[in-house]
Amino acid sequence: MRTARWQGLAYVAPFLILYAALLIFPLLMGMGLSFYRADLFGAKVWTGLGNYGRLLSDPVFLHALRNTFKLVLLIVPTLTALTLALAVALNRRTRGAAVLRGVFFSSSVLSVTIVTLIWRFVLTPDAGLFAEVAQALGREPLPWLSHPDLTIPALALTTIWWSIGLPMMLFLAGLQQIPSDMYEAAALDRSSRWTTFRRITLPQLRRTLLLVVMLQTAAQLQLFGQAQLLTAGGPSGASRPVVLFIFEVAFVRWELGYALAAAEILFTLVLLATLAQYWAARPREDAR
Amino acid sequence: MRRWLAPLLLLGSCAQGPDRTEIHLQRFFGDCSAEYGRSLDIGGAEGECGIVTTLLNRFRAENPDIELKINIVAWPGYAQLAAQMAANEPPDLVTMHQGLITDYQTRGLLQPLDGVLAQAGLQPADFTAAGQRGVVKDGRVYGLPWDTVGGLFHVNTRLFEQAGLMEGGRPVLPRSADELLAHARRFKAATGKPYLVQSSVNDPATHTRNLYTYLLAQEAVIFPDARHVRLRTPEAKRVLELFRTLEREGLTTTNQDNPAAIASFLGGEGGVFPTGTWMIGPFDAEAKTPGRPLYGAYAVFPYPRLFGREASFVDGHSWVMPRRERTPEQEAAIARLLRFMAERNFDWSRTGHLPAVQAVVDDPRFRALPHRADIAPLASNGRLLPPYVQRQGAIEGLIGEEVASAVAGTKSVDRALADAERRVNELLASTL
Repeated sequence: MRTARWQGLAYVAPFLILYAALLIFPLLMGMGLSFYRADLFGAKVWTGLGNYGRLLSDPVFLHALRNTFKLVLLIVPTLTALTLALAVALNRRTRGAAVLRGVFFSSSVLSVTIVTLIWRFVLTPDAGLFAEVAQALGREPLPWLSHPDLTIPALALTTIWWSIGLPMMLFLAGLQQIPSDMYEAAALDRSSRWTTFRRITLPQLRRTLLLVVMLQTAAQLQLFGQAQLLTAGGPSGASRPVVLFIFEVAFVRWELGYALAAAEILFTLVLLATLAQYWAARPREDAR
Repeated sequence: MRRWLAPLLLLGSCAQGPDRTEIHLQRFFGDCSAEYGRSLDIGGAEGECGIVTTLLNRFRAENPDIELKINIVAWPGYAQLAAQMAANEPPDLVTMHQGLITDYQTRGLLQPLDGVLAQAGLQPADFTAAGQRGVVKDGRVYGLPWDTVGGLFHVNTRLFEQAGLMEGGRPVLPRSADELLAHARRFKAATGKPYLVQSSVNDPATHTRNLYTYLLAQEAVIFPDARHVRLRTPEAKRVLELFRTLEREGLTTTNQDNPAAIASFLGGEGGVFPTGTWMIGPFDAEAKTPGRPLYGAYAVFPYPRLFGREASFVDGHSWVMPRRERTPEQEAAIARLLRFMAERNFDWSRTGHLPAVQAVVDDPRFRALPHRADIAPLASNGRLLPPYVQRQGAIEGLIGEEVASAVAGTKSVDRALADAERRVNELLASTL
């Protein structure tokens, strides 16, 4: 028995060692350094909770935090609803549905650089696609990438377009797990499409739905590349998410300890969001 | 013969030998390998990217015993460099703005170049005064200065003519802030176009350059000491209110980033584009191309004196050597490369930048380049920030962001200046 346990441990040891070296150790090191005024090159001075206190009164950090929440609120519900609708619509064995599944998934394979390049061509107010359409309709083009009220929606739009593939596939996988006899029974009962969706599809997809919301919340709390490449967080920080703040503080301002304190706050937020969603799902799971 | 020479030289440069010395160079100025990746014709290259790419191609071809590995970073590449230095894996030679050298030098991250330059047969006296000021720290040389760069007023003379702002074939530039507004209003009324074309989106450098230039013109003390900036001043308010008025009255283009602003100016969509020396080459090429909106209609001058005295905030590019272990052969290879670059400083000056090698400034070939007589005052009026100011790159980002808010009207001028001052002072206070 004891030998079997050691053998099991030996199997997982390579992964555990790498996981500890690449994730746990840097995480703990980051936590430790967040209590120092430290630069990128090794100089450090103990400051206790000083970095955390400074962050909570830093209007730029608080602005970045608000931007991040706005992005999450714009992206996660829209993306979830949209990908669920697409999955339901494309969950059929026709060639057209297969092609469309491929088309909708294709954006997910692009790198953030390509995605932002494409959306720059769409959003730029001088000769972008939206600007051309607006001008054709006799309207002034909207400055999507430079107006403080439009940059967050522009980032959300770009991110939704880019991220549609994976949640759609997860929902499709979930839909294919639902036993067909449930739909047959509903059809015998002359249940409407909406009732079938509400009473059968949605409850059966509950775990997938939770997974999608959880994954997307965690991902969008860490949104970075689109903001850096499309708007650089501007104008005047109007579209700067927390990870871009962390990047700028660490690598442009060299305030490593301060950046790590912000990273720890973000880590806590992601952890709390994930735990809250588990908690929200648990009572119903137990009741079943 | 020349047709065969280039491929042969390139082929020679590709030959692998056991005694090749490897050095790693990291640079910005963009990637134009598609156009210049194989070019050895330095005289035929245009623009920063074209010229630096061709220069390095030529060095490789002429020095087959050196394996020069080049990493091209996205502008300005300092975040990447900082990460490389933190990981103790910096390149051997890096392009660096002279204003940033102090940051790295005070932390012992750069190797003094005195010995390598001596090996290359170069000495500080070979460089211009501005170049020397940029790279000499605590009596030691920390870089090969390559140029002096600054902001200029690039002018569309055809639109100026239309607005009645030409006199004796030369553009009439304003001599005060009020006159700038008067010219801009007159220009807009006559042409229907904004007087200024500005890169105002994602371009903190432009906003900061404008502010620094006109603060220096008013003799304002921007950094009273190494830990403080002084921005809540009537002088700073005056500058920001001017740019805010230009924006509010539609006398400038809005919502344009740098590529969009360049396209606008090239398309004849505005009268003056305040941008750097680096655009002289591309704009002059357009001005010589029949059929283009800028054809025969381009002039360029230093920022006009709107307040106090004539002054321009300038900086410069340099080649620096991060501290790391190297063999004597590698140091010798670097010395050869630095000598090569210094000897070709004239070719680099075709970009529009002012040369950093004094012999090039005195060279009649340089003075014969287009517009150089018009921008000559930049050499004497150009001023750097005090050498004790650290974190100039990060500060530029912070000030630029706040100035942009004030100019766009999303913050009041007073609030933006107060925020900029607070943020910069916090950064300087936290610097170890």
